[in-house]
Amino acid sequence: MKRLSVILLCFLMTAGLLSGCGGGKDPAPGQDAPAAEPAAPEAPASETVDTVILKEADDQMLNTYTLMAVDPAAPFTDADGNPVADVAVNTAGADALIRWLLLPETLELAAGYGREEFGDSLFYVREDAPVSSGPVEAASGETRTIRLSTTTSVNDSGLLSELLPLFETAYGYTVEVQSAGTGKAIAAAKYGNADLILVHSKSQEEAFAADGFARIVEGFDSERLSFLYNYFVLCGPSADPAGAGEAAGVLDAFSSIASGKYVFISRGDGSGTHTKELSLWPEELGITAEAESFADYTDWYVSANAGMGACLVMAEELGGYILTDKATYLTFFANHGVL
Amino acid sequence: MRTALKDAAALLFSGDRELRGILAVTARMSVGSSVIALLIGVPIGIWLGSARFRGRNALVVLNRTLMGMPPVVCGLLFYLLFSGVGPFRSLRLLFTVRIMVMAQVALITPLVVGNMESYVAAAAPPVRETAKGLCLPAGKVFLLLVNESLYQVVSVYLIAFARAIAEVGAVSMVGGAIAWKTNVMTTAIMQYTNRGDFSMGVALGVILMAASLAVNAGVTALQGRLGQ
Repeated sequence: MKRLSVILLCFLMTAGLLSGCGGGKDPAPGQDAPAAEPAAPEAPASETVDTVILKEADDQMLNTYTLMAVDPAAPFTDADGNPVADVAVNTAGADALIRWLLLPETLELAAGYGREEFGDSLFYVREDAPVSSGPVEAASGETRTIRLSTTTSVNDSGLLSELLPLFETAYGYTVEVQSAGTGKAIAAAKYGNADLILVHSKSQEEAFAADGFARIVEGFDSERLSFLYNYFVLCGPSADPAGAGEAAGVLDAFSSIASGKYVFISRGDGSGTHTKELSLWPEELGITAEAESFADYTDWYVSANAGMGACLVMAEELGGYILTDKATYLTFFANHGVL
Repeated sequence: MRTALKDAAALLFSGDRELRGILAVTARMSVGSSVIALLIGVPIGIWLGSARFRGRNALVVLNRTLMGMPPVVCGLLFYLLFSGVGPFRSLRLLFTVRIMVMAQVALITPLVVGNMESYVAAAAPPVRETAKGLCLPAGKVFLLLVNESLYQVVSVYLIAFARAIAEVGAVSMVGGAIAWKTNVMTTAIMQYTNRGDFSMGVALGVILMAASLAVNAGVTALQGRLGQ
């Protein structure tokens, strides 16, 4: 009886396997013949990128980057919500890094980053950016390691790997950079795993400060030190079936994408880009971060829950529209040529 | 794909400093965790496979369940325990290679135990009978079983190593993929992929597989000698 059931099981598994493979290979010549014709000239290897910038430098699309120092006296709680008092935060290190980043020389470096490689600055310095006059304290034994929790765009665009080594060699610190979407970057700080954050979502930054997690660095007058900006850009297939490029403003472009049900790739991960995108949809659609809110739009609204680069690939593959920060767009497509 | 292979070769022979760093961390992490998991798992596996006691089946089922623990769940658990607000925060272990090894050991040990258990369960009865005939003490019987299953131990080590070097979910969570410190091959591949630099991702993948091939070839040769 046992042996019989084993044989039966083997037989079933083999049959399942065969039918699975066969189904895929089955050419069904009669049905496929007409469809195969137009597909014959294979698309050329995607050396060139079809996804282009359609809307940019719109005031609605301002993308501001903000530094915030974590307060060691913040109301930290553990995973169960119990208060935790003795969370280790390297305040001296965070102060040094913030003061250095806001030095006029550093700001100039940041503003010039990418100009050679991409023909355009990836980041601009805000006119009212807080400027520090130093002094930047050198590292000592206790303060040597600085944990910076940041958004993917400043890291993936290469800005930090351009700037931080200068700071590290000059002052003896080691900056450990963790990069994730703004939502996750802030969550890491709330779990006591960061000394400072560099993010780009005003509402989430304000909530972080209001909850008491941020502190004012001596010599500055706000918890939120907004110093760099660039623009979000709306990208899409060069054919632009939704006419987003011709729309009067970015809000009109979004509403024409929605009314035409053209594929749109959303980060869907609580990042700064995701937060911005949610604010651009026509209000009557009611799209929020909750999965429930876009359940009726799944035929065109793709919530990817992935990083910016991965989402850009998806947009390219699906011929969809996407909101991205310009820095990531430019660096991503510089790399894309070798795909 | 061809550019990726070319990239991989160029990268490997250019002596890129970052790549060397990543390879060193990967080696420390995967060798460290697989050896520790082997040292813990083999005795438990042999004991579980040869001993007869009430509740043994329950332990086997428990272990087999742990074998299927998703790495991200394990990573999340360690992240919460060792976070700045977690109960073990004073150890300051988050984002270090050490905690990556710990998380990996938690993931791999059940695999070692399970594989040893199922081998020994089949091999133990004749060994025990012989031991009974020779009136050997329990300690000696255990050593005899270890000796009998050496070939299997090497195979199990390779499973442990493969899991350690290929894992990404847990190590990216507890390690943070911090450049020069906790970035291993798999997390670096993820980073490049996220940036859209696929060919660099594939290049690293090729190097990873080559390293894995070297280890497997070496250990298998050693195993062949053991078998003789």
